[in-house]
Amino acid sequence: MPDEPKLPWAVSISQTLIRGAAPLVPAAEREEWLREWRAEIWHRWQFLFHTGEWNRREQLLLLRNSLGAFADAAWLMASQDSVRTRISGIARSPFTCLAALTSVLLIIAWLSSGLHATREMLFSQMPSKAGKLTFIWLHRPLGGGDYGLPADVIPAWEQSSKLLNGVAGVEVRHDQVSWNGHVLADDPLVIAASPALFKVLGVRPEAGQFPAEGGVVLDHRAWTAIANRNGHIIGSDVKIGRRAYRIAAVLPASFDFLSHQPTVYIMERLTYIQKAFVVSRVKPGVSDNALRKELSRIAEEVTAYFNLQNQMRFSTWREALLSPLWSFVPATLLASLFAWLTFRTGFKQMKRAFEPENRKPAARRLFFFMAKTGLALACVFVGCLEWTRSESSVLLASRDPGSGPFLLWLYVLGSMGVVFWSVADQRARCRVCLRLMAFPVRIGSPGSLLLDWSGTELFCSEGHGLLHVPLMAPSWDEDADRWVSLDDSWKDLFAHDK
Amino acid sequence: MSDLAKLSHTAALILQTVDHGCSYGFDIMDETGLPSGTVYPALRRMEKEGLISSQWEAEKKALAEQRPARKYYRVTRTGMQVLEQSQKRYPLLGKLSQKTRR
Repeated sequence: MPDEPKLPWAVSISQTLIRGAAPLVPAAEREEWLREWRAEIWHRWQFLFHTGEWNRREQLLLLRNSLGAFADAAWLMASQDSVRTRISGIARSPFTCLAALTSVLLIIAWLSSGLHATREMLFSQMPSKAGKLTFIWLHRPLGGGDYGLPADVIPAWEQSSKLLNGVAGVEVRHDQVSWNGHVLADDPLVIAASPALFKVLGVRPEAGQFPAEGGVVLDHRAWTAIANRNGHIIGSDVKIGRRAYRIAAVLPASFDFLSHQPTVYIMERLTYIQKAFVVSRVKPGVSDNALRKELSRIAEEVTAYFNLQNQMRFSTWREALLSPLWSFVPATLLASLFAWLTFRTGFKQMKRAFEPENRKPAARRLFFFMAKTGLALACVFVGCLEWTRSESSVLLASRDPGSGPFLLWLYVLGSMGVVFWSVADQRARCRVCLRLMAFPVRIGSPGSLLLDWSGTELFCSEGHGLLHVPLMAPSWDEDADRWVSLDDSWKDLFAHDK
Repeated sequence: MSDLAKLSHTAALILQTVDHGCSYGFDIMDETGLPSGTVYPALRRMEKEGLISSQWEAEKKALAEQRPARKYYRVTRTGMQVLEQSQKRYPLLGKLSQKTRR
């Protein structure tokens, strides 16, 4: 038999790890648990040592296996009744519900670079404030949908309009962009725009000069992504799709227009084939009606496009930015209406809350309900906005189902889900301590419905009361969910839960 | 039979390994390739459910060999029934068992 080896570092660390995990094990089992793990580690080391297989790989493997002691100890701890009761008590607490919703909100903020799209919606500003920055597009009365205008109306409006200070068209598409053989990894936004676009928006270049026609302007993100802010990019060629264009300018980092994706602008004269969304500066004090009349007249006289008047839609920059908010508010109201129609009997019971002895607990319940619903709705609002607007835009929002109508549907479904969950969760909580009810017991059978005792009974783990939820609410009994308050004499029955 | 506990594939594999004679936690890990964080909690759970039982080997024997005593696991009668049921539920496990026994 070889000489007894010195205790190797891997074994020492393993023993330390086990000692570290031991406090998690219930005191009654700890000694035996430690003995078992120590013996296993010792035997493993000795076996490998004597067979000549004790090498670095086995040492690391032993360390990895020793880490499993934490999982083992945690399992033993969690399997104790007292710990289970405590965990279940924490899970049922109203504070846990609010903390979970707050965590979801924080995770959304973390995943979306600090709620980028939401901040853009609320605080984004265009550099120039001269006149109302307004978008113009078509929305057909029959068949719906948003469309761009035939682009040859844009020069006609530019020349003849007395109500506009500037006008430019933009056509949005996606294409592959590469510079010096380096392909832009993120799917960039490519915007074909009238040369007047940046004048209308009131922005100045950070580097280079805006081209007249045929040149390309990069926004700051595209500049960073393509060339890592290399100043020599000005004057070089960039390939967009199959064509090469000369880069003429780079936009400042503070400039955000349609999207926070890297964006490449091709300055070109848009032709009638292209359907362009129009960006314009409307002179102060001009009404939509007057503008509609003038623009339709010019379109009819100069370019012979008729019937645009009924189809033209206007939206200011601020209105367009806030469009998700205006989708969310009616969606939430709709969801609340449905919830009221579904749970109206429950709301009728709220009358009791105005009785003097019920005011204080009722106020607590109401505060919790408002906080929970508000947080959950905030999660839906920012979550959907950040998700759909990851490649969003103000203009695309009205055109692309991925970020326009789709967002509205998400909001309708999301707020419906939240409001219904919130009401159902509220009904399943104790009327006194707001903990979720526990110990569900099915009583009766569906055939006993006429006797009105078939359903589920739940208890508050603190012994505040009992909730009877019938299997089906009979039409003659509006207060179907029955809450029975239990007085202090019942408390002893629930003492083990504390 | 229907009252018997239903095991996951991993738990059934561990139970079968114990039945095949791997009586110690680290041996089961070697045999199954599962990490200790899976094997030990599974052993505890199965012991709690009466599918396996554990016992310390004789202290005298261990002392005589100048080593610490080990805790070994054995499949109980209920455990055998559950294992048979699991082998029907997971046919590959049953085949593996036949192959190992051969």
